Amino acid sequence: MHKQNMILRHKLFDRICHWFVVATGLVTFLTGFAFFFPSFQWLGSIAGTPQMARFVHPIAGLMMCLPLMVMLVRYYHHNKWEKNDLTWMLAIKDVMFENEDKIPAIGHYNPGQKVLFRTFVVTSIALTITGIMMWQPYFAPYFEASAIQWAILIHAICAVIMLIFVIVHFWMATWVEGSVAGMLYGYVSRAWCKKHHPNMLNDPELKTNKQEKH
Amino acid sequence: MSAQDIILSSGTSELTPAAQVRRKLSKVAKLFDATKCNGCKACQVSCSEWNDLRAPVGSFQGSYQNPMDLSSECWTLMKYQEVEENNKLNWRFAHSACMHCDDPACLTACSTKGAIVQRANGVVDFDSDKCTGCGYCVSACPFDVPRLDPIDQKAYKCTMCSDRIQVGQEPACVKSCITGALKYGTREDMLFIADLRIKELRKRGYVNAGLYNPEGVGGTGMIMILHDINQPQNYGLPADPKTSVPIKLWQDVVKPLGAAGIIATVAVACLHRITVGRNLVEEDEPAQFDHTHSDKSDKE
Repeated sequence: MHKQNMILRHKLFDRICHWFVVATGLVTFLTGFAFFFPSFQWLGSIAGTPQMARFVHPIAGLMMCLPLMVMLVRYYHHNKWEKNDLTWMLAIKDVMFENEDKIPAIGHYNPGQKVLFRTFVVTSIALTITGIMMWQPYFAPYFEASAIQWAILIHAICAVIMLIFVIVHFWMATWVEGSVAGMLYGYVSRAWCKKHHPNMLNDPELKTNKQEKH
Repeated sequence: MSAQDIILSSGTSELTPAAQVRRKLSKVAKLFDATKCNGCKACQVSCSEWNDLRAPVGSFQGSYQNPMDLSSECWTLMKYQEVEENNKLNWRFAHSACMHCDDPACLTACSTKGAIVQRANGVVDFDSDKCTGCGYCVSACPFDVPRLDPIDQKAYKCTMCSDRIQVGQEPACVKSCITGALKYGTREDMLFIADLRIKELRKRGYVNAGLYNPEGVGGTGMIMILHDINQPQNYGLPADPKTSVPIKLWQDVVKPLGAAGIIATVAVACLHRITVGRNLVEEDEPAQFDHTHSDKSDKE
């Protein structure tokens, strides 16, 4: 493996953004889980007390959702629907079982990742709006009780959807060896690209470690 | 008060019920007879005295009602509803406090284990020390009773003077009622007394007199005799109070389905991991710049 030939997949700013979202998301999900399933109230203890968890949750939630909107802007162009995407989606079974020869070539992101990205964007917008509506004591007093009740319901549904997609995200990232390293250090090998995102190598803006340094 | 049996507790399910009822306790109730009330506010004052509540002094808002609304420092409020009937202005006095529902929406909506409990005698009580201030009970209550305190951000409401009840006394409001509009006793007794009173009222010409004891919340621990049972809004009471649809969906559908979805996703992920395994890239291959996706498998 030639280190100078590594390909830049995630820029430093995006990596910081991503791991910031992971950190704040962890706090948000663990505290939120404590309210959603009171049997898991002990998870909220990461904030100290249940009262503190209630106070921290909306702030951590905003700190998770707002950088996600930054990532929406930064990654938007990579996440447009492309020609091969439908055939890739139909071949999802081959993807899962690693029948490499049957998987259509895709670019910087595969359609699964695009669906994931869209879900994160939509749910975080919904979570932010409903979260503000139910945020005691600052914003909730301005809303009707029935509006808050629906906000709580939608907030819970979106949180569950987001958590399921977070699990999928974590599972795929750890399954495909090299992804986590790519998100941590920014670079992936040429062979990795060829295997997982072959069309990425056609990107005219492709940067390697060598080009960056010299 | 903890010695009293708890039969319902927020944040628990049928699988993890609250402490079992060991003694069979009769349910208690407060009976408010609006036809006897003269709006003297003794109940309001004695509530404030006994529970040591000191709501800030308000300003005149064009009504004899004061304060204008319930708060964390006002658990019992004499509401002065102005109703026009036959071109005459009538007052409809309403003793406004927690209704102690048999199926309390606040308890259903509460996000914290044991912060809201229902005692074996039917009293719905808040353990404010456990309250996290999420405000779910505030938005859930169809009677708009619980309120968050601006200082400690915890929810408060009428406890039916649980501390007095426990030692065999009646609630402070009942104790101080001068006209006998408020009565306290077992729910059975109160329903019996209410029935007699309503029959008497109907004989005297109040043909629509009736008992406010809404079915939607399983009946209440504060029942009310009204001049006209078809017009509960004249007393500031909802016509058909119940646990709302979104709260029911959230607790009874989204939670179990959500749990199943999360567990199923984790299970599939684990299965995939131990069957398909790791998706490795063979880095030792000469790095050829090949734009086409070769047929050769990259598999190990």
